[in-house]
Amino acid sequence: MNYETVPVGLGELKVGTRPGEILVCYGLGSCIGVALYDKVAKVGVLAHVVLPDSSLNRSPETLPGKFADTAVPAALSELIKVGGKRARVTARIAGGARMLNVIGAGSKLDIGARNIEAVKLALQKEGIALAADDTGGSYGRTLQLFVGTGRLLVSTVGRGEHEL
Amino acid sequence: MILQQGEFDVLFAIVQQGLKDSSRSLSAMTTGVIELKDPVLKFVPLSEVPSIAGGPESVVVAIYLGVTGDLSGHVMMLFTEASARRVVDMLMECPPGTTAVIDEMAVSALAETGNVCGTSFLNALSDRTGLAIVPTTPCVITDMAGAILQSVAAELYLNGDEVLVINTTFNDEIPGHFLLMPDQDSMAKLVAALEAIE
Repeated sequence: MNYETVPVGLGELKVGTRPGEILVCYGLGSCIGVALYDKVAKVGVLAHVVLPDSSLNRSPETLPGKFADTAVPAALSELIKVGGKRARVTARIAGGARMLNVIGAGSKLDIGARNIEAVKLALQKEGIALAADDTGGSYGRTLQLFVGTGRLLVSTVGRGEHEL
Repeated sequence: MILQQGEFDVLFAIVQQGLKDSSRSLSAMTTGVIELKDPVLKFVPLSEVPSIAGGPESVVVAIYLGVTGDLSGHVMMLFTEASARRVVDMLMECPPGTTAVIDEMAVSALAETGNVCGTSFLNALSDRTGLAIVPTTPCVITDMAGAILQSVAAELYLNGDEVLVINTTFNDEIPGHFLLMPDQDSMAKLVAALEAIE
């Protein structure tokens, strides 16, 4: 199969409907990659969540995937548009690390932990089951969603890669 | 951040002073000369920050200092892994290629490099502007560029939209990136202070 890699940048969300598509969040630190997948329709969506809550927003333009509370409903609705069924959709998430472990920097820097909590809450609100997660720690992750199979690959620097 | 030409010139002079002081301090740690020069300053949108050091997945070594006082934000020095190893060779006065891995000793040498450069720059900034600027102790992280930068960007997303990137070289051969990322309120203070000098 010819694979086509589709990068999902900060705050973006991308839908995949073709079997050869691979949706990718490169180098997630405190950000979270939220992958929703319907294995019957074989469609998926990947969101690159940056911050926990849209009430933090101060900029005029806003990307749909930027905040956990808006990213999850937006991702779900995009998936439904391309034939996904809410009841079949499962979620897997990765990221939310604490990259900068600085003494005295205060809790402000632990956006990763706040992101994890906010994404889980948003999924719960939408009634989507969290099938797997690989979150926290203090290292970066790259997340690849293979649209044709639903395979989700997490890769790291020095900690190998594994499927989620 | 939009700076008038005069303000930019003041900032450029501060950066050059910071590099000069850094060079002096780093050279004093060795028997040779370590010189940082020819800075290139540019403002980069936050969304592009993860890509400045060879793409989001490239492995980099980052030396991070938090900034507190009148200004709050972050200062970071970034090297590709290969450059970081060469900087360690330079500081340890070993032939190039000696440092094969970033071990504990290398981390401590890099922490000191980041500390010297970061504080030199912040001191130069403080001297010129009269703002009190206090750096935290450095931490060294080796990981994907995207993961590190994006974590800082995430925090700044709460406030700002551009960061100052200073590209420089160690002894004309090893490229290093220096990032100044004040939060938005601090950026306003900094611009006002530069304006006053100009």
